Amino acid sequence: MNDSRKVILGLALWVCGVSALHLRLNFDWSVYLNDRLPESERKLNVAYIPVT
Amino acid sequence: MTDYISRHTASGNLFIPRLFQGFPEIKEALISNTMQAGFMVAPMAMALWSQGVPIKIVYLGHRYGSAFVVRKNGPIKTFPDLRGRVVAIPTRFSDERLIVFRALKKYGMTAKDIRMVEMPPPDVAGALAAGAIDAFSMGEPYPSQAEMGGYGRILFKARDLWPDYMSCVLVVRQDMIDKRPEAVQALVDGIARSGLWLEKGRPYREDAADFVGRFYYHQDPRLLRWALTNPLDRVMYTPLTPFKPDFELVRDLMLETGTLDHSIEFNDYVDIKFAEGAKSKTAWAYEPGGLEAR
Repeated sequence: MNDSRKVILGLALWVCGVSALHLRLNFDWSVYLNDRLPESERKLNVAYIPVT
Repeated sequence: MTDYISRHTASGNLFIPRLFQGFPEIKEALISNTMQAGFMVAPMAMALWSQGVPIKIVYLGHRYGSAFVVRKNGPIKTFPDLRGRVVAIPTRFSDERLIVFRALKKYGMTAKDIRMVEMPPPDVAGALAAGAIDAFSMGEPYPSQAEMGGYGRILFKARDLWPDYMSCVLVVRQDMIDKRPEAVQALVDGIARSGLWLEKGRPYREDAADFVGRFYYHQDPRLLRWALTNPLDRVMYTPLTPFKPDFELVRDLMLETGTLDHSIEFNDYVDIKFAEGAKSKTAWAYEPGGLEAR
């Protein structure tokens, strides 16, 4: 494997790794999946602020 | 809190909680139907309804839990010392602003004697510490934050001037009430059960401070522990049924202070049936730190 291939492969792995971590740590799957349910089955989105 | 405990039940979470940093953003999210329900200060909910926003108040979030805070060791020793000073409030449509008007009236002052500024609740304690404001009227845990930080002193609690004080209410879009009343009832039932669970005593409040601080408010759990236990009745979670006299008092104060331009009737902007439906509910069967809830 020549150097340019190694760089491209490393870059691709880095992008995939960061994307996977982002989807695991930052993406709210409960909101995403809830929004795709039929309206009659969807859970309510309830807004709150950090105050009692 | 309701979300955390309900996740430990066999049926799972009842709703999707979404964190916001200010009441105006919640207002916009409700109008655009991004949020179907939300907690907001009672006067804002009433003002929105009076402006034609299709929402109803269905329950309270808590009672008491707001306080007027000044700088510790600062020049403000009594309320009249605030003449010419800057006081922060969460929004002009808030009970925290109305409590300032009550204090002004008690001490023979008017709104012209102080300068009220609107500030997002998370910013007020830092602003007081930095000297950007002289006082703030705000809900917990921000009075606790100023106390714990050693730079704030509670001049008075809201309940000192307003015995049945309430602040945050639960509002739901009218289309949800019409189309999915069972989902709204499940939400109100869950909040009622959480309130009863919190009122079981200190260990329950301490546990709530821990998981709410870490997973929901993203605040130091010690801060919420202070707010919920110092003393235990600093914030109360029963009764949460909306009472007509409480709302009529808010309405009258809003009319008096110019945040409502016409009178509105309790039965029009409050839907009491969900609170009535939740009256027979009991506290969550959930032990602090447990893995299962019923």
